[in-house]
Amino acid sequence: MKQLSSLLKIPVSVLLISLSLAVTAGDPYRPSAGAGESGMGYACVMKNGFWTSFHNQALLPFNDSPSAGFSYENRFGISQLSTRSAAVIIPAGKTFLSGIYSRFGYADYKRDIAGVGCGLRLSERLYSGIQIDYLSEKTSGEYDYAGSVTFEAGLLVLFSENTRIGIHVFNPLPNSLRKKELPSCLRVGAGTSFNELLFAAVEAELSTGNSIILKTGFEYEAFSKIWIRGGFCTENTSFSFGAGFLTKFAKIDIGFLTHEQLGVTSEVSVVFKIK
Amino acid sequence: MKIQKIVFTFLLFFPVWSFGQGDKLKEFIASTAEELAADDSDPEAASSYVEKLYDLAENPVKINSADETEISRLFFLSDFQVKILIDYVRTSGKIVSIYEIANIPGFDRETAQILLPLITLESRYTLSPDSSIWRSVSLTTFSFRDNNNDTSFLAGPWRILERYRLTKGSFSAGFVAEKDPGEKLISGNPPLPDFFSVNAAYNGRGIIRKVILGDYSARFGQGTNINTGISTGLSLSAPGYMAARNEVRPYTSTDENNFFRGAAAYLAYRNLEAMFFYSNKSIDASVSSVSGSGESSVNSFYRDGTHNTASLLKKKDTVSEIAGGVNMSYNFRNIMVGFTWSGDKFSLPVKTDVTDPENYFKFSGKTNSIYSVTYKGLFGKMLMYGEFSSSGYKKYGLIQGLSFRPSDRLTINYLYRNYSGGFISFHGKGTGSSTSAGNETELLGSFTLEAAKHLFVSGGCDLRDFPWLRYRNSAPSRSLRKELRIRYFPTEIVAADISYTYRLTMADSPGEYGIPEQENKIIRSIKSSGRISLSENLMLGTVIEYKIAENSVNRGTVLLQDIYYKFENLPLRVWFRYCLFRTDDWDTRIYTYENDLLNSFSIPALSGEGSRSYIMADVKTGDFGEFRIKYGITSLATNGKDSDYRNELKLQYRVRF
Repeated sequence: MKQLSSLLKIPVSVLLISLSLAVTAGDPYRPSAGAGESGMGYACVMKNGFWTSFHNQALLPFNDSPSAGFSYENRFGISQLSTRSAAVIIPAGKTFLSGIYSRFGYADYKRDIAGVGCGLRLSERLYSGIQIDYLSEKTSGEYDYAGSVTFEAGLLVLFSENTRIGIHVFNPLPNSLRKKELPSCLRVGAGTSFNELLFAAVEAELSTGNSIILKTGFEYEAFSKIWIRGGFCTENTSFSFGAGFLTKFAKIDIGFLTHEQLGVTSEVSVVFKIK
Repeated sequence: MKIQKIVFTFLLFFPVWSFGQGDKLKEFIASTAEELAADDSDPEAASSYVEKLYDLAENPVKINSADETEISRLFFLSDFQVKILIDYVRTSGKIVSIYEIANIPGFDRETAQILLPLITLESRYTLSPDSSIWRSVSLTTFSFRDNNNDTSFLAGPWRILERYRLTKGSFSAGFVAEKDPGEKLISGNPPLPDFFSVNAAYNGRGIIRKVILGDYSARFGQGTNINTGISTGLSLSAPGYMAARNEVRPYTSTDENNFFRGAAAYLAYRNLEAMFFYSNKSIDASVSSVSGSGESSVNSFYRDGTHNTASLLKKKDTVSEIAGGVNMSYNFRNIMVGFTWSGDKFSLPVKTDVTDPENYFKFSGKTNSIYSVTYKGLFGKMLMYGEFSSSGYKKYGLIQGLSFRPSDRLTINYLYRNYSGGFISFHGKGTGSSTSAGNETELLGSFTLEAAKHLFVSGGCDLRDFPWLRYRNSAPSRSLRKELRIRYFPTEIVAADISYTYRLTMADSPGEYGIPEQENKIIRSIKSSGRISLSENLMLGTVIEYKIAENSVNRGTVLLQDIYYKFENLPLRVWFRYCLFRTDDWDTRIYTYENDLLNSFSIPALSGEGSRSYIMADVKTGDFGEFRIKYGITSLATNGKDSDYRNELKLQYRVRF
């Protein structure tokens, strides 16, 4: 029975990996952290926010005070497909430092990512950021463990007072330089604030092994300190929506993404400003 | 295709030029190659345009001269625009600011921006102050690619190219020497580089306008008879399709076949112009001998130019070709008429296998003569042009074009072309065609419109019929191309472009007995690009292209990001590109245009799945030298795992003394 259980773990793990691939927002190696971003369909490569350390480190300088947060994502109501993420941002003079950690999966198949990054303001209109990542993948049985180091980097361009362009690349090194192949990913997007209340964004993403993904999303401050969000992503024809609430101590966001066949992914995140 | 794409790329990059001419200009001339050759993949022809742009940048056009010959050097302007510019200077006086051009009827900000780095406000022709001294420019290039290391190669995998030009006043001379990957550096008798081209030229202002000895290129009329450069009108978004003026010019390209070797002269007296040329050179061909008779004949000509294996080396210089011709033209007030004769004679007869129906109309024999008459005329807001060439009974090539400009913001073009099956021109390349072969009729219509301030729309449709068999078509076939393009330039520092292209071609259906049926191949693509100059030092560019093959439902996608940075306190500039691509098959391959070395460009076709990145740096070494290095890597994956990668390294040094 124990042997059968071990054997079953293999197809179950394969299934879980395929499901994780199928979820929206591109590559499974990069965690989809942040419920606010989730609500906008992850059209966020240029959008300010705490979870920028997962999406574009060039936006770190827009976090003007130390903060910490955690995020929980549940895909299709299956706890084994959940992602738990945490991050911290520390302004240090002109440099803004960040640390991230994320775990996807469960005991028999899990994928961990840890990274440290920094963001810099290069000029009035240009920001950049970089992050070193360590990725590990652990599977029970003979598949065992694999780990690798890579980096990601981003740029943010303030095209005008209201319009901005974000560019982010994950793992740009050719795989010929590493033992374990890692997908690469390029994201380019533009966002604009139509007024003080409404922000909208559009983004294109291409990663190795996937077709191009187009995403669009908006965020609207419906009431004071309450935001509603919506989005659409061409991958799996995914619609998204969500909301955010700013309380005295923390900002709480929730987000939902649909999948044309598999159901709904839900996510919640909480961010604390330390001072 | 080429002109418009080059011009547009100039425009895209212009915002950075505007911050400072000089250095940046060279970079952007090189970058024009990015927009070349996606459809026709004719890099050798495209290179001649890049060279022309370099020429213009180094010898800007004196627009206040109001001289047609001088202003026509801006080869991407339509005849309408040339005439308008001349009339404006004559009636309104000298142009005092280059920005004034944008307000001249028939011009817009887009065109004015393109012109900016290529013109000067000087009006009189004067020799430059240092024209009495000899000046030299040497451009040395080494390049290497991983996959160029075939075991059958005769020599090393490096490509080596040297261009040298010497000028003094009206005289100039130069040479080009090249060794392709795998070719011997020096070979033959006398021992010379695999390709060696030399010429000397005199440019005058009197009756004798130009004399060239050595290698040269030529173009007369609409090019159906003689045109060794690139043809115009291959792009549906081009502002016009009429060929530029007649010209003979020193040959500086590296296409090892498409030029003349001998002497050429250009004479002009008042409204009468005459050009004469004579050429005698050896060309590559596959030659076979009939056993016993000792007679040899040419099976086919070899146009590729590489001789890096023993079998290819056997084809080198196996036949000699004597060519000659004359062109006469006369300019009336608004009409030009011209006549051209050219002849070719080969040392060995060409014998074509006429038992193959595809070859029914192909050339056989030793000699070929072509007679042409051509005209162009401006009638109010309508420009008409045409050419009729004949290489024998029922062997003709006909071109008739019309450009109509009902308002300053709208231009409409029509082009009709009919090359009969037997029409042969070994050195011709007429408007709208990248080849000189017969068996083709074409009807093309297009427009360009300034739809609103800063917003430009262009589009067109091109229908071609091939009434006889041809390669991969065992029955009459046709092709269709449609394009719509929108360009938007909201500010001086931003450029955006989106285009949709539909292309239908026909090919033999595979796996059928008898005469194969013709199968439609439809490719649709949508491409979007944007560039922003953040400062004098930094520019970002993004391109997304999506392509779909309708019948196979295969797709191709590219997303790329460019960064250009110029260091403030160092004579150093850096270009970086990161590109991810995924295509399902070769039909959905995507061409991406890259910055490259000076006088050069790179247009890799991306197919499969992987990434392509490069970094290029340019360092100025004082006032006389410039060093450029480029490293690129293409990483290809299979089933998500890397299986192949190719490195590429290029080095170049340019020195002036």
